[in-house]
Amino acid sequence: MTHESLRDLLPAYALDALTPDETRAVGAHLETCELCRGELAMLQETASQLAGAITQVAPPTRLRDQILAAVHPQPRVIAIPRDWAIGLAAAAVAMIVATVLTAARFGQEAELLKQRIAAQEHVLAILAGPAAKTTMLTGSIEAGVRFVYDPARGEGALVVTDLRDPGRQLVYQLWLVAGVGPESAGVFRPAPGRPVVIPVRADFGKYQAVAISIEQAPFGAAQPTTTPILVGRI
Amino acid sequence: MQPARHRAPDEVEDRQQLASIARRDSRAFESLYDRYSRSVYSLALGMLRDPATAQEVTQEVFLSIWRQAAEFDPSRGTARSWVLALAHHKSVDAVRRRRLRATEPLEDTQASDLDVVDETLRRLERGRVREALVRLPAEQRQAIVFAYYGGYTQEEVAKRLSIPLGTAKTRIRDAMIRLREALVGVEEAAP
Repeated sequence: MTHESLRDLLPAYALDALTPDETRAVGAHLETCELCRGELAMLQETASQLAGAITQVAPPTRLRDQILAAVHPQPRVIAIPRDWAIGLAAAAVAMIVATVLTAARFGQEAELLKQRIAAQEHVLAILAGPAAKTTMLTGSIEAGVRFVYDPARGEGALVVTDLRDPGRQLVYQLWLVAGVGPESAGVFRPAPGRPVVIPVRADFGKYQAVAISIEQAPFGAAQPTTTPILVGRI
Repeated sequence: MQPARHRAPDEVEDRQQLASIARRDSRAFESLYDRYSRSVYSLALGMLRDPATAQEVTQEVFLSIWRQAAEFDPSRGTARSWVLALAHHKSVDAVRRRRLRATEPLEDTQASDLDVVDETLRRLERGRVREALVRLPAEQRQAIVFAYYGGYTQEEVAKRLSIPLGTAKTRIRDAMIRLREALVGVEEAAP
């Protein structure tokens, strides 16, 4: 496209009214065309005036707390030893935001609610990191298990949204897999109808994968005694 | 609400705050949130008409600011327009996601196009911007309202208004040029 035809697209670009292809073409052109950058700055100023004209409504203060909690440097949201099991209910990664917003609606005991929100904030804080990554665990069974982590900060969490009950005498155990051998990152049991979050703090650069095996309740094993049923590369 | 001048010192402060946020300064983020959360949330709410989704969008916008503050380039415009462009972008994404999930095709919408435009104008604060919109030729006003507040692409605007794509493009472009002329140097409501 020529400079003229791209320049003609700038008003619609400022309104987010272009197709993805057009948006990319204009974006690329802007990198090299100072004239169009200047023009766009003015159009975006106009667009922001359109934004400012909308009836102003204050957002709920709860939202402020949630958003600020997601970015505040938190040494550790949940102070739990790494090899210690927790079964905090929390949201699936894809639903975390929505669930945080509605968490207050759950009529649970205050303490449980506090723990759940802390777990959600922990996952949100990880996702807010610029280097945040997510890996889906797959293997011999159907399950909804993801591992989210921020290698830069060494913070991570296993988010279990769908995993069948292992049976009364058994637990799931999470492993961090390095060349030398797996290290336990905690044992857990799925909570029916509720997601479970297991916070993990580690130098993720040292590991190649996270894995889950079935072990004896209640403490699991020092080294896996069964073949992992789920594995995710990190 | 009494419109206040968007003062130059505010812009200087906004720029400093974005620079601090890029260095992971959560206090700067907090002040920026306090300055812009109302504008961002109101835009999302105005476009989506659903407080829960507007809150999700607001959260997305501010987490993006936290992650991408380093991408703000003061030579490309004001901090305020950068924040609001991001807010509009995320709101449009949410509108389009919702539209994709809805089963009704574009053409079958119940409300007439003129009703939609009138209704949108009623939800704007009285002031120079609304006045400038009212003064546009009706077909330009319609095109810009659908594109900006409705989150429609130019192609969708054309389909929705049953006009050729080229006509929709021209109307949107002319409307923006006129608005820009009408609003240059106009005092903005403080966020």
